[in-house]
Amino acid sequence: EVAMAAPEPEVRSLTAAPGLEWYEEAEDTHAPHIELLDTTAAQELPSRSESFRPRHGLVPVVFPGPVSQDGCCQFTCEFLKHVMYQRLQLPLPYEQLKHFYRQSSPQAEDMVKKKPWAITEASSRKCQQTLEELESVLSHLESLFARTLVPRVLILLGGSVLNPKEFYELDLSRLAPSNVDQRVSTAACLRLIFRAIFMADAFSELQAPPLMGTIVMAQGHRDCGEDWFRPKLNYRVPIRGHKLTVTLSCGRPSIPVTAWEDYIWFQAPVTLKGFHE
Amino acid sequence: MDQAVGDLKQALPCVPETPSIHVEVHQRSGSTAKKEDIKLSVRKLLNRHNIVFGDYTWTEFDDPFLTRNVQSVSIVDTELKVKDPQPIDLSVCTIALHIFHLNEDGPTSENLEEETENIIAANHWVLPAAEFHGLWDSLVYDVEVKSHLLDYVMTALLFSDRNVDSNLITWNRVVLLHGPPGTGKTSLCRALAQKLTIRLSSRYRYGQLVEINSHSLFSKWFSESGKLVTKMFQKIQDLIDDKDALVFVLIDEVESLTASRNACRAGTEPSDAIRVVNAVLTQIDQIKRHSNVVILTTSNITERIDVAFVDRADIRQYIGPPSAAAIFKIYLSCLEELMKRQIIYPRQQLLTLRELEMIGFIENNVSKLSLLLSEISRKSEGLSGRVLRKLPFLAHALYIQAPTVTIEGFLQALSLAVDKQFEEREKLSSCD
Repeated sequence: EVAMAAPEPEVRSLTAAPGLEWYEEAEDTHAPHIELLDTTAAQELPSRSESFRPRHGLVPVVFPGPVSQDGCCQFTCEFLKHVMYQRLQLPLPYEQLKHFYRQSSPQAEDMVKKKPWAITEASSRKCQQTLEELESVLSHLESLFARTLVPRVLILLGGSVLNPKEFYELDLSRLAPSNVDQRVSTAACLRLIFRAIFMADAFSELQAPPLMGTIVMAQGHRDCGEDWFRPKLNYRVPIRGHKLTVTLSCGRPSIPVTAWEDYIWFQAPVTLKGFHE
Repeated sequence: MDQAVGDLKQALPCVPETPSIHVEVHQRSGSTAKKEDIKLSVRKLLNRHNIVFGDYTWTEFDDPFLTRNVQSVSIVDTELKVKDPQPIDLSVCTIALHIFHLNEDGPTSENLEEETENIIAANHWVLPAAEFHGLWDSLVYDVEVKSHLLDYVMTALLFSDRNVDSNLITWNRVVLLHGPPGTGKTSLCRALAQKLTIRLSSRYRYGQLVEINSHSLFSKWFSESGKLVTKMFQKIQDLIDDKDALVFVLIDEVESLTASRNACRAGTEPSDAIRVVNAVLTQIDQIKRHSNVVILTTSNITERIDVAFVDRADIRQYIGPPSAAAIFKIYLSCLEELMKRQIIYPRQQLLTLRELEMIGFIENNVSKLSLLLSEISRKSEGLSGRVLRKLPFLAHALYIQAPTVTIEGFLQALSLAVDKQFEEREKLSSCD
């Protein structure tokens, strides 16, 4: 718990630092004739193309020291829960949903009546299914992280894995392998991550999306023996679609890129279907 | 003079004619092995079997590495051009290995409208898809339709890939398959896309098949004119921009789109329709310039298709109803499947048409059943592939209805089912 207290001053200095900013890169790979079509479409169809321009956001987060592999797993799981809630695939944050869902079981029926968020039977069933699927992915992420280093994680929403509507990337490749003695606490790192995402205002601008399928992909070592996630040897990170990348680093020399050559993409075999109330 | 030319020909160095053999390696979905390692092991396997007889598939291996990582190794498409399986000496052939993983995700749909309306304007597959596995082999044609198409498109893609100046040599990548309904045009398009993705897997990372539903597209977009057509094609353009992907755009029953323009000219349809059709044609022109696109279209009636469209298609192929020989092959594959599933029991060896020919169609114990099947095939001429693939089911449902049946019993039922099919046809046509 000593480590918990330490990063606090670090956080303040970090938020003031110029390195922590939210910047956008407009995609300029369009062919000229397509842009022409774009403008005409925008005049007549004021919906999507205007308010949902694809872009690439980058949120760098620097930890004060190395973190454990277990910590990396937690960052991933929390990031997944956060994205699903922020992108309205879950009506409530995961923990609350779990809490309410547990309470809505028959034994606790009295309590649920007092809650502002009433659960109908249909949505309760959907909620149960969503939670079960999400929990299964979370637990398999845990075993994947126990098998192999995971340099990158992708959370893909809508469309297909190759052409998602939007996707979120967690770059863990710059975290130096942890030295057991001097790790930063995971909780403190989580606070840093979510503060950075909050400061970057990464989600507020986006249009409210419909329910979409959510697919989780993670890189792992070719020979790690993973058998739940499916290997996707030909997979490549999509170029199109709205993208947000969170890069984690710890201010130390990172693992050279060549070390990741034998790391391949794995895809979770379930598509998480969110639900609305 | 001719003599001189002949001499000259002999003197000139010519490219050695080594036949090339395609070998498709289906990697297990859970396998993470490197392509190079698999290639190495497959080459070792092929070295042990120097002579093969026509198309051949291995599914069991001595090498534990192959057992772990590979579902099947198949020598394919050697029988597309030659009528009968020929012995192939692998040691003198150029062997092209194609290693692929199947995508099990299934199609995703493209909804163009806002989310309130769920009109699926297109289905979208990432190839090679598990759904289309084996489809290519299930399609049986007499003439060399499959090899023609494959060669056409391979050449077109090669030309595009090498940037051949299209002002000097004109070619495009628009394919039109036409012919009566039920002859497998749509299936052939899908199978072709799958086959090309596998063949070109070293050049393109993956294939994408976008199947545009032209009915929904048209009726839905009627009032909105060409705007949504543009939107649809913009999505396709996004796929094309990924140069690692080979994109197939399949427009089924293209006559429903293009016929309306003629109707429009005749004044029977509102002018809005003409804009939709024009938009589609313009968009096709836009995307066909990209080297990684193949546009596949099908039509049930050729005469009704807009000339403007027919001209755009370089590769036009008529797909007719199968001949007796093809029907025999189709039936044979159906019977094989039913024997595999033990609905027809006990298993009996049937001869192929070629084998029947070799024994001169003489009836004996071995050939009796095959001759009967050939009889039924001849009787079935005129039926479409779609009906033919349905007949074994109908035969069972109408005349058998038992969990297992002998092959004699089944052939009898099949024969009855064919008769019934023609009777029904007669009734239908007499109604007209």
